[in-house]
Amino acid sequence: MIEVLDVSLPIISFVLFSLLTIPVVKAIRKRKSKTTVLTIGWFLIVFITAAVTVANLAVKYYGEPSPQPFLNITLASEMFAIFSSTFMIDAISIYMAIIFTIVGAVTFLYSIFYINLSERPSERYYSVMLIIIGCIIGTAFSGDLLTLFIFWEASAAGSSFLMLYRKTPRSLHATLKYLVMIIIASAFIVYGLSIVYGITGTLNFWAVKQALIVLEDKHLLAIAFIFIAAGYAIEAAVVPFHMWLPDAYTAAPASSSAFLSALIDQGSYYVLLRVFIYILTPPTVLEWTVMLAVFSALTMIVGNLLALAQENVKRLIANVCIADVGYNLVAITSVTPLGIMGNLYFFLIGGITTALSFMALGILNRMGFETLDDFSGVGRRMPFTSLALLLGIFSFAGVPPLAGFIAKYLVFTAAIEANLSWLAVIGVLTSIIQAAYLLRLINYMYAKTPQEETKIKEPKKLLVPIFILVAAIIILGVYPTIVLNLIEPVIQQLPFIP
Amino acid sequence: MQNILLLTLLLPTLAVLVVYLTGKKSAKTAAILVALIALADIALLSTTVPVVLESAEHKYVESYYWIPVLGSSFTLFVDGISLSMAIITLILILAAALFSVNYMQEKKGLAEYYALLMLLSIGLVGVFITSNLMLFYFCWELMLVPTYFIIGGWGYKEPYRAAFKFFIFTHAGAVFVLLGIGAIFMVTGDLDMFQAQTALMTAQPDLVKWILLSLTTGFAVKMAVVPVHMWLPDAHSEAPAPMSALLSGVIIGAGAYAILRVSLGTVFPAIMATDFGNQFLHGLAVFGVISAFFGSLIALVENDIKRVIAYSSIAHMGYVLFGLSLFPFQEAMAGTVLHLVNHAVSKGLLFLSAGAVMKQLGIRDIREMGGLAGQMPVTATSSTTSALSIGGVPPFACFISEFLIFVGAFQTINNDNFYLLPTALMLLATVLSLAYALRYIRHIFLGPTKLKEAKEVPLFMKCAMITLVAFVIVLGIWPTFFLHLITTVNFV
Repeated sequence: MIEVLDVSLPIISFVLFSLLTIPVVKAIRKRKSKTTVLTIGWFLIVFITAAVTVANLAVKYYGEPSPQPFLNITLASEMFAIFSSTFMIDAISIYMAIIFTIVGAVTFLYSIFYINLSERPSERYYSVMLIIIGCIIGTAFSGDLLTLFIFWEASAAGSSFLMLYRKTPRSLHATLKYLVMIIIASAFIVYGLSIVYGITGTLNFWAVKQALIVLEDKHLLAIAFIFIAAGYAIEAAVVPFHMWLPDAYTAAPASSSAFLSALIDQGSYYVLLRVFIYILTPPTVLEWTVMLAVFSALTMIVGNLLALAQENVKRLIANVCIADVGYNLVAITSVTPLGIMGNLYFFLIGGITTALSFMALGILNRMGFETLDDFSGVGRRMPFTSLALLLGIFSFAGVPPLAGFIAKYLVFTAAIEANLSWLAVIGVLTSIIQAAYLLRLINYMYAKTPQEETKIKEPKKLLVPIFILVAAIIILGVYPTIVLNLIEPVIQQLPFIP
Repeated sequence: MQNILLLTLLLPTLAVLVVYLTGKKSAKTAAILVALIALADIALLSTTVPVVLESAEHKYVESYYWIPVLGSSFTLFVDGISLSMAIITLILILAAALFSVNYMQEKKGLAEYYALLMLLSIGLVGVFITSNLMLFYFCWELMLVPTYFIIGGWGYKEPYRAAFKFFIFTHAGAVFVLLGIGAIFMVTGDLDMFQAQTALMTAQPDLVKWILLSLTTGFAVKMAVVPVHMWLPDAHSEAPAPMSALLSGVIIGAGAYAILRVSLGTVFPAIMATDFGNQFLHGLAVFGVISAFFGSLIALVENDIKRVIAYSSIAHMGYVLFGLSLFPFQEAMAGTVLHLVNHAVSKGLLFLSAGAVMKQLGIRDIREMGGLAGQMPVTATSSTTSALSIGGVPPFACFISEFLIFVGAFQTINNDNFYLLPTALMLLATVLSLAYALRYIRHIFLGPTKLKEAKEVPLFMKCAMITLVAFVIVLGIWPTFFLHLITTVNFV
């Protein structure tokens, strides 16, 4: 039997460790020797503990096949249950928790090395990161709209600290933009939620859903949907609400960009998926597929076209992130088991690939390479970093045997299955554009002659987490069954959505 | 042995790293290693020949667990056609590796070059020996990346420009293939070519039509059919000669093989009886004729030594497409596949010998050359052999397969009057191809000697060319081995 404690332990452990991190890392810093080893040791303890709690939950969940696949766990007892936050455990939330923990750990490892390189490394940075991981796992476990909102906003707002880390005017500007956007977004969402509460009298996922299915007049619900959808779309950077993303990711230090693109982006897709597919399920509750399909097409086109015109490489990759949002929306729009599978796979692969690219760019940016011209001949001067970036790029472009290919294949096939062939064709055409500008970057890296020929010493420590992710995209590309087996229970549970 | 085919793929995969590390020390050893691995692969594949010839199904299949959720298992198989294509591919890789020893001598970064060549061989062989569409697509795209870097890294003029063009064109084609494969999976729930064929029979004809068109367009880009041929002249002429040989010999051949195997073999039967089926085949014939004329005519006036050959490749893919349009006649199909094999060897040889000329002379314009026959006898012999084969002169390889295609065409005319005109035009095109072949030889090897200092090529290049000369002649006189293999496959 899964208790409240089992569910909340991963969240609690991350938050608790986050509080402990500040004094512990400060103490470690005071020592003269072995500071890096001790820091890594400390975070190893943190992540192993968290991994154990997540694993405990997964084992318990799959250990006893319960007749009810969606496990509702209320914090308070019967009488106050209506006021209480609810956790809900199903296959999808367990899958998300697992990948958040693993991807979080790898990006964290990179951050440790990367932040240590800066002039005044701060232990608060680690602390914020841990809290965000905890909150985002909380998002995955939420069982009612309010809990989802709270945890998600906490992680989204928390990420602004990561963007701000450098405290340059540019990063201040970008963070301000981001904060304004998410404040507007949360206002929209709260307004939408209040309408939903007004209609149904509850915020619990299943109660809301049951009430909405039998609802006869759906006009008010449509208004609520528009607000909620707009709110979450802003946070997921769907075109036309994408403006904050390139600024924020470019201004943030590379470790933050990697972390944000790997976790916060995935989290925002997850929230979209949860709300749209699991609660506002079309066509029983609300028919929104065509509208979302249009936005998805728009996001793919605009994201890729913006990237096409980009000279700054980091901004280019940030625009690829926007295009990725579009590809994810294709899958959500299709509302097919294949689409959900593609989506969940895309979350992981898109996150890993963007994280990997930002990490590699981080190394290159430190050497002062920013624009395409700076990247001339970098392939020969920094072979390993360039190789990692190259593989990331080919994965974006969907070239097998890298993992990005399977993700795109699933997404497009799902679109065809849902009778949205036009969307699949747009997806295919935009991914040709994508291949073109990504290849242009490779062209600069390998074909152009560099200004100077000397080899640059590559920081080996930073390459370790990068190559962990490189190995992941190769292995998951050649043998995706590892992850697809984890996703399969989600597909099995889909028919249970009433 | 149970895992022969798996080994043919694993061996080069494992060898990539070894080749790279060896190449760091000695490029020559790496080249010989690549050649040896290709030889070992040929040996492994030939152990399946008796099974293919004698078993009831004329097939040899291995299947492994891979991605069950996506209806994909790691299925490797050979039948007569795929075995012929795979063997000829490996022979070309062997020749290309040996040729590179001398040809690439002065270039830098040879360790990477040979590792990429090895990587390319996995993709090339894999395309021919799998029956799972997902794995097929994996290998299909695996050809792309190494080719891009080989053309870009070691090519001529503005190599990355040509490589970029090649990558974008063929990748764009490939995504349409992907769309088609996704649709097949959606309709049938299976990605095995043979099971999908049965399952598609009951599918909606309208959808099958689109799948067929999407797949064929994608494959046609790789095959460089006019009007999607634009990448070919640049890529073929700017690539280093061994890569051109592979590109022109087998990579575009893979496009033709894919049309035969996937478009026609898997999807087409479902709509064969309809009007659209007929129109589709007629369309192939028309594009075939256009490609043949376009390629031959430009080859006739082109002056760049490699561009002549590149355009002749377009022309020959026109013949192949015309042959494919005669589906499913036995003679025509056998002739088409045999032409792929023969064209691969002949064109490979022609590109290698052109590379030899370029390397020794340092110029590309055929008008500036002349009278080289006396100075470079081996190169001259191999050029002449291959050019005559390309021109369709007996007893060289391509004659016999072109002859078979025409036999098939005449049989088809009995049933379908439409083919009268295309067949007549095709016969005219063969005359053109002989014309540019003779022009090529006359300009480079005959006439007064213009360049006194030209010398014969070094040993390894000679070896590579002589091997292929032997194949061109033997395949011309005694095509029985491959014909036997190919005719075991029955499409009807």
